[in-house]
Amino acid sequence: MGFLNPWFLGGLIAVGLPVWLHLLKRHKTDPQPFPSLMFFEHREQSSVQHRRLDYILLFLLRTLMLVLLALLFASPYIRRLTPKGRGDKLVVVAVDRSFSMRTKEGTSSRLDLAKNEALNVLSKLGPGQKGQVVALADTLQAMTQQTADPGELRGAVSAIKESDARASFGELSRYLRTLSESTKTPLDVHLISDLQKSGMPPGFTDVRLDQDTDITFHEIGKPQPNWAVETVIAPQHIYDPKRARISATVTGFSAPAATRTVTLLMNGKTIQSKSVMVPENGRASAEFAGLDQASYGFNRCEIRIDSTDGLAADDRYAFSVERTDPKKVLFVDDGQHPKAQEYFRAALNATPDSAFQLEPLRPDVAANSELSKYAVVVLNDLGSMPSGLEQALQKYVTAGGSLFEAIGPASAVAFPRAPVLDEAIDGTSYASREGERFFSVSDVDTGHDVMKSVERFDGVKIYLAVNVGTKNSRVLARLSNGKPLVLERKVGEGKVLAFTSDFSAANNDMPQHYAWVPFVQRSVAYLGGSGSGEQPTNLSVGEYVELRTGNEKGAQAEVQDPDGQRVLSLQDAAQARNFELTREGFYEVRTAGGKRSLIAAHANRKESDLAIIPQETLDLWKATGSSGPVNASGQGTGGEGNTTPWSLSPFILLLLLGVALAESVVADRYLRPQAQPQETKAA
Amino acid sequence: MLQRFLDPSVLAGISGLDLVAKTVVDGFISGLHRSPDFGFSQEFAEYRAYNPGDDLRHVDWNVFARSEKMFLKRYRGETNCQVSVLLDASRSMKYGSRGMEKMEYAKFLAASICYLAHLQRDAAGLIVFDSEVRQFVPPSTRQGQIMRLLHGIDQAQTGAETVLEKPFAHLVDYLRRRGVVVAISDFWENPETVLKTVGPLRSRGNELILFHVLDPQEIQPKLRGPVLLEDLESGAKMEVSPDYVTHEYKGKMSAHLEDMKSRAAGANIDYFLVDTSRPLDEALRQYLAIRAGRL
Repeated sequence: MGFLNPWFLGGLIAVGLPVWLHLLKRHKTDPQPFPSLMFFEHREQSSVQHRRLDYILLFLLRTLMLVLLALLFASPYIRRLTPKGRGDKLVVVAVDRSFSMRTKEGTSSRLDLAKNEALNVLSKLGPGQKGQVVALADTLQAMTQQTADPGELRGAVSAIKESDARASFGELSRYLRTLSESTKTPLDVHLISDLQKSGMPPGFTDVRLDQDTDITFHEIGKPQPNWAVETVIAPQHIYDPKRARISATVTGFSAPAATRTVTLLMNGKTIQSKSVMVPENGRASAEFAGLDQASYGFNRCEIRIDSTDGLAADDRYAFSVERTDPKKVLFVDDGQHPKAQEYFRAALNATPDSAFQLEPLRPDVAANSELSKYAVVVLNDLGSMPSGLEQALQKYVTAGGSLFEAIGPASAVAFPRAPVLDEAIDGTSYASREGERFFSVSDVDTGHDVMKSVERFDGVKIYLAVNVGTKNSRVLARLSNGKPLVLERKVGEGKVLAFTSDFSAANNDMPQHYAWVPFVQRSVAYLGGSGSGEQPTNLSVGEYVELRTGNEKGAQAEVQDPDGQRVLSLQDAAQARNFELTREGFYEVRTAGGKRSLIAAHANRKESDLAIIPQETLDLWKATGSSGPVNASGQGTGGEGNTTPWSLSPFILLLLLGVALAESVVADRYLRPQAQPQETKAA
Repeated sequence: MLQRFLDPSVLAGISGLDLVAKTVVDGFISGLHRSPDFGFSQEFAEYRAYNPGDDLRHVDWNVFARSEKMFLKRYRGETNCQVSVLLDASRSMKYGSRGMEKMEYAKFLAASICYLAHLQRDAAGLIVFDSEVRQFVPPSTRQGQIMRLLHGIDQAQTGAETVLEKPFAHLVDYLRRRGVVVAISDFWENPETVLKTVGPLRSRGNELILFHVLDPQEIQPKLRGPVLLEDLESGAKMEVSPDYVTHEYKGKMSAHLEDMKSRAAGANIDYFLVDTSRPLDEALRQYLAIRAGRL
């Protein structure tokens, strides 16, 4: 018998509590004075005897309860001889089918060699001995149930196919622990793998095995140099092909210095090639500028290197880009603030390939324009509103358009209520020279998309702000005087974002502040629909693609794999929220919301590092599964049985519950006040 | 209004015994007990024939003038009674369950009786005893007697255990003149022994009144659990269960009180059980009412 947590036995000191309560404290009872004991007799009353019995019983129960509680926390166990069947040990053959197993060793791949080794292990099974075949990648796939049929086991090995996922030895250990616990049978595990170091989990405890698990490592392949395209940085959308830039990183794993040719392919055509010098065990970058060959819509791109290493699959890296025209932003300006347009345009075009194109118009011209062709309409502190413009803006926003308006001093004089935002304008807040001189921004809603990268407007000085009501709007930023600086309101299907000063730097220094560029870009991206809601299109195998956000009821999603096959069942198409990328290549995805995208999946580049696990680590791993002397008596032979720890905690818990119940009953009897007979008046 | 001051716990808050006695006695009764002797006061009682040797000052000369026979005029006396208060100061009197000891209650009672006697111009005396006679204030009607009595009562301290025989044997020597003897005690003794001890006082023509002072916890104890009781007088200890107290003790106590009452009645002794939880004037009122009815 042993204890998993023996230090909890220290709780037995608590047994002193009932001893003190029942024995020591009792002896200290002070006698009560009474005038005369003339009518009392010195004899033991039956009720007293009965109660004294209860008293002792209560004491014993309480003591027992504390002892059981301490034992329960100490988790006692006994070693129990578990019966074994014929062939006693379950042989588990785990075959690694991760991406790195595509590596060629001579004329065969590592996976082929692993399958041969697995067949070799299975051939040594004793007659009637049970075995199981599992395939290892990022998840574990049981190829068979536990069976003694050699044919079924061999067939399962042959059915294992290569995967683009990475290996996870932590997942294998977790499965083995579960299997050991459920079958109560010792396991004889044969791991047939290239034993990549990158397959080990960060914490060694994750690969811990149960005591009766014996693991044998069958290393496949030898360490060899490998070059791979590790990363590619490419824009998701191309608006101006001449300004688009693509950067690729080539890495040599355990490889000598070498010159590699990096080629950019687009839709199967070679676009550009460059030679890079990859240092020993180092990285080199190749940059491609200009993608004139890109056609409108989705383009299937690939970076490829020439390499003669064994793992050819990581010599190419697929990615997708979408070419589209930039969205138009209408900037309505009455010419009163000439610098505002300049500041706004500069902020919008701060990135090399901007998704938006600014188009300035006078208010009277804008009133006659077709607003629906603009992604965002910006009003720059208009001093007057031509007839029809406000109605046109109202209609445009209600139908799903976006309005970004600066409500400066000119608007405060001209309008009693903010246009479209429909909030009352109540004068202006002016920070005078005699007073605070300027307002700062004190409260920012950083949870909002617009404010995420802006974070804080540290150092921004606002000299004049218009007091706009907040009855129906959400305040995204406030000034130090409590007045709103940035507001948002949803109107119909569209959105209105308001800035309660102007964009000209006349009444604030915002346009000259570093917060200006991210504020404008995030605001326009949020309003124009190119915000953070867009999911990336270049992902690793094993990652998930979102198919629906939950609002699209009944709408069908659609996914086509690299072979052009539909991968979703009808039920999944109607209900699945996401989809896992299981192999390299291009996936055509149409979400339930109707948005189309081309997803490029590539194998996790940790698989490109073919360094193997050190022998010491393997020994440690194996040692976690070593058991006592009985278990170490050999493999494949049975009959003598095996001892396994058997917890006594459930029984102690049951006993404790019973004792607690008995204590309650006895304590109730003992402590219940005696029923007093009806008092009679003394003579 | 007055009743509020007569609650024992209220009286316990009054500092002086004289004030307590006045508070209890003043205003509710006076002069209800009469002298067992005929005196020569203003209230006519009867005539009797003159015998040689009688004082000629009491001859009714008007009657003699009409009938030429000599008659003596007799009157009822009111104030020439001697009242002796015997106060038990044994250790058992120290007991009290409601914040007031029996001794304190007995002191109030004794003071009230002394004050009542003083109002009636009776010659009041005091004897404090336990196993011995601890204090003795001879009965007198002299000026300042009431203050001596109250001082004596105030100085009384609980001491030894109760042994009635020894002090009562001496009491006979102190009480030479007939009068009223008031004994205030908890009488933790066999009723037969009690009556046998106090009986001689009665046989000498004294009016004997027993005030049996008991705490309600003595009459009917209430225990929440088994307790260890210690005898205040002997120091003996005994574990007692609530069950026993509820049934057997109660029966024995009731029998004891009934025995005391019946034996006192048999010996023509006035017996009053005084519960210390009851107002002090209630005991006095009961006592005076009974005595008024008899005399």
